[in-house]
Amino acid sequence: MTIRPDLAEKIAGRVRYATDLEVPGMLWGALVPAPVAHGRLRTVDLGPARARPGVVAISATELAALVGGRQGDRDRPAFPRERVEYLHQPVAAVAAPSLAEARAAAKAVRVEVEPLPVVSDVDAVFPDWPGSSAAQHPSVAAHVHARRGDVEEAFRTAETVVRETYRTASVHQVALEPHACLAEVEGERWRVRTSTQSPFGVREDVASILGIPEESIVVEGTWVGGGFGGKGASFVEPWALLLARAAGRPVRLALTYRQEFLLGRTTLPAVVRMETAVSAGAIRARRVRLLLDVGTSLPGRDFATGYSIGFLLGPYRTPTFEVEGYAVRTNKPPFGPHRAPFAPQCAFVVESHLEEVARRVGIEPAAFKAAHLWETGGTTPFGQPITDFGLAAAHAAARELADDWRRAAPPGHGVGLGMGFWSTSTGAGGEARVTVSADGIRILQGEREIGSGSVLVGLAAVAERRTGLSRHRIRVEYGDTASAPYDAGVFGSRTVGALGRAVDDALVQILGTLAQRAGAPTPVRLAEGERGVELEGRGQRWPIADLLTDEERAQGGLTAHGKHYGRGGKIDESLVVDGTFYAYTDFTGAAHVAEVAVDAQTGSVRVVRYAAFQDVGTVVDPPTARAQVEGGIVMGLGTALTEEAIWSAEGRLLNAGLVDYRLPTISEAPPIEVTFVEGHPGAGPFGAKGLGEPPIIPVPAAIASAVRAAVGAHVTELPLNPERIARALKREEP
Amino acid sequence: MSAHPLRLRVNGRPVELADVPVTERLLDTLRGRLDLKGTKEGCRTGGCGACTVLVDGRSTLSCLTLAQEAAEAEITTIEGVGSDAEGHRVQAAFEAVGAVQCGYCTPGFVMALTGLLKERGAAAPFGEFLEELGGNLCRCTGYGAIVRAAAALRAEAASR
Repeated sequence: MTIRPDLAEKIAGRVRYATDLEVPGMLWGALVPAPVAHGRLRTVDLGPARARPGVVAISATELAALVGGRQGDRDRPAFPRERVEYLHQPVAAVAAPSLAEARAAAKAVRVEVEPLPVVSDVDAVFPDWPGSSAAQHPSVAAHVHARRGDVEEAFRTAETVVRETYRTASVHQVALEPHACLAEVEGERWRVRTSTQSPFGVREDVASILGIPEESIVVEGTWVGGGFGGKGASFVEPWALLLARAAGRPVRLALTYRQEFLLGRTTLPAVVRMETAVSAGAIRARRVRLLLDVGTSLPGRDFATGYSIGFLLGPYRTPTFEVEGYAVRTNKPPFGPHRAPFAPQCAFVVESHLEEVARRVGIEPAAFKAAHLWETGGTTPFGQPITDFGLAAAHAAARELADDWRRAAPPGHGVGLGMGFWSTSTGAGGEARVTVSADGIRILQGEREIGSGSVLVGLAAVAERRTGLSRHRIRVEYGDTASAPYDAGVFGSRTVGALGRAVDDALVQILGTLAQRAGAPTPVRLAEGERGVELEGRGQRWPIADLLTDEERAQGGLTAHGKHYGRGGKIDESLVVDGTFYAYTDFTGAAHVAEVAVDAQTGSVRVVRYAAFQDVGTVVDPPTARAQVEGGIVMGLGTALTEEAIWSAEGRLLNAGLVDYRLPTISEAPPIEVTFVEGHPGAGPFGAKGLGEPPIIPVPAAIASAVRAAVGAHVTELPLNPERIARALKREEP
Repeated sequence: MSAHPLRLRVNGRPVELADVPVTERLLDTLRGRLDLKGTKEGCRTGGCGACTVLVDGRSTLSCLTLAQEAAEAEITTIEGVGSDAEGHRVQAAFEAVGAVQCGYCTPGFVMALTGLLKERGAAAPFGEFLEELGGNLCRCTGYGAIVRAAAALRAEAASR
């Protein structure tokens, strides 16, 4: 059994989240939404709201005064000045003594907007794409283009060319806890307690949005009720801080669940054109074109396009290729990262497409893929060397299991295989302050546990593995951005891989110092003894208490500051025609097998069983690792089968709630077999690779492949809902 | 808006409130007036199950229940469910299998499962039993550990 220090408290309902925070004298915040998706802002009249007792109201006009005349990032002001760009975009905010009064005051604000034409989706921008696209189009926010070799020649002379168009839907993170924070401003000290994956990231964002220096801002993470990428950047914090400044009192601001959907930060929809040229059973060339709807996002648009597009080539050797991507601005909210941002969608596209290619040239799809799969020591199409990579081993094991399941599958059932790769963000930096005393190990760090266990369990497991000390003697502590050492945050599957390296670095320093003082033969470990924790080397033991100086004893132990700032890889820049492309940092992957039962009449899908083969390098805590894989897979089933945010031509989100936006439920979750493929070490401590994101990546691909095996429906859109499956079946009919 | 006195029992203790508006939701009474913040506020539209409590032993969405509807009823929340034999077993099973990640859905799941075991015990087929829990969403665990906890509880109930 795992030791999860938060388990008992959470089961007893004693954990306090940001939505539970209340302090005396606090006001409640509410946001004032834009009434149309695009338009010129004519009036934001706060008067009627301010006329109500105890109400504070602010809009763009008050911004400069509230931040002492400073100027924040003009690309993402807290409130718009001239133009609203998506429906429900906050144009003002209010605070009042109760939530009901705040909501009523928000409704009282008079907002007048002169409507402008709404750009609702990418098809409206480039109606006959890919023929009509142009990097100079005013709606294009970013353009990337790269190529290698004579693509035109390869397509002209190939034996077979397969061309297909795929579409993927917008999916929401749907953390059950809405975004919430409590802000307090005293003089030049801006303090916010918030539910976030990255306190330091929020500090940086708030500084940039409000134009105030980072040193004036203190961010304290609270317990987090689910993140999944949606709580990686700041969201409600700037508004709450501005309200607190205006009111001179603490302000709590939480989104309603409807606002969770309406204000977005979803993964946005995409259209992908895939073309593959094959001769003699081998891929000669590929062409990938991407139209990515980025809504009103400005930060991240280059990254989203230039990073995602590499995943559309997949983990396959491709000698000659051309990729071109457009980030298209539409009147939707800013997009945000969603567990392995856009990778499940990319894996669905490339896996389904290459399955189609293999079928057309008469080769068994898994064999065709295996023949092209990246291997350790090879290079990516962009010329980056591939670090130790376990995907080929995972795929081989998955193929074998898939064959067994196929032989046993009854009629109407289908077995499918999907693959995906990921690059975990071990390049982003982290630091930890670790103290060893007679009582045990204390790890002070700047992340908060968001649920996965990577902080409370993962970091402790790293310390246990390094020192040999039992985990009940190891405590992971939190600090706010003023007291804890810097860390980039819980994202990119990086906690164990990057922050874990910082913890390990500190422990190695401490063990070295203690060994030197004791004159102990190395390697040394820590163990429990009669006088508390002891240093142990070749059977000899020294109580820690005897190895500390008086000063260290007074300070609670011997402390070391560990750091890890990793390096990313490099791509061959000579391939880039336009825009920015990104290298990967640490290669990992997974191969999944799904068995589904499809009702050919209704197109409804039931996932009967599921198996995952995950390249993890080294498992640091088996129960937590398994839990990550199970959670990632079921979240992926939502992306595969039901989840889709749908906007109208007026830019109105039509399914802004959990009744119409359907998540997998407990009775739809299949039994899942999890196998860890070890022995392909990554950049993390003891060769560990990140595991938060990778398990979701192959899911839509595996499900699509299984649906096709079951009823012959080749579905080229996500999610694979009954309507799309029925339509594909109709198309396949002779 | 009219407000009325409200009497109920919460976690075994009598509660008397002077004026509770007829539109006030039980969820807000529990969290706001009684400071029982273990009951989580999720979607407020009956779509997530995070706010589940027991009303006279039956699993109930407190976001869709008016406080006045619960007048004179016995309410059990996560803060009190440990004193109930069934509730205690559910909490112990969650702990034994580690059926928790972020924990936001956990109180609702504990309450829903407690109510379901009281109502259906081990009698219903397991598939049906799980379908009854379909109103409680969990985004972290993929439900695997929760299903393992439910299966263990049912096996235990069947052997009693």
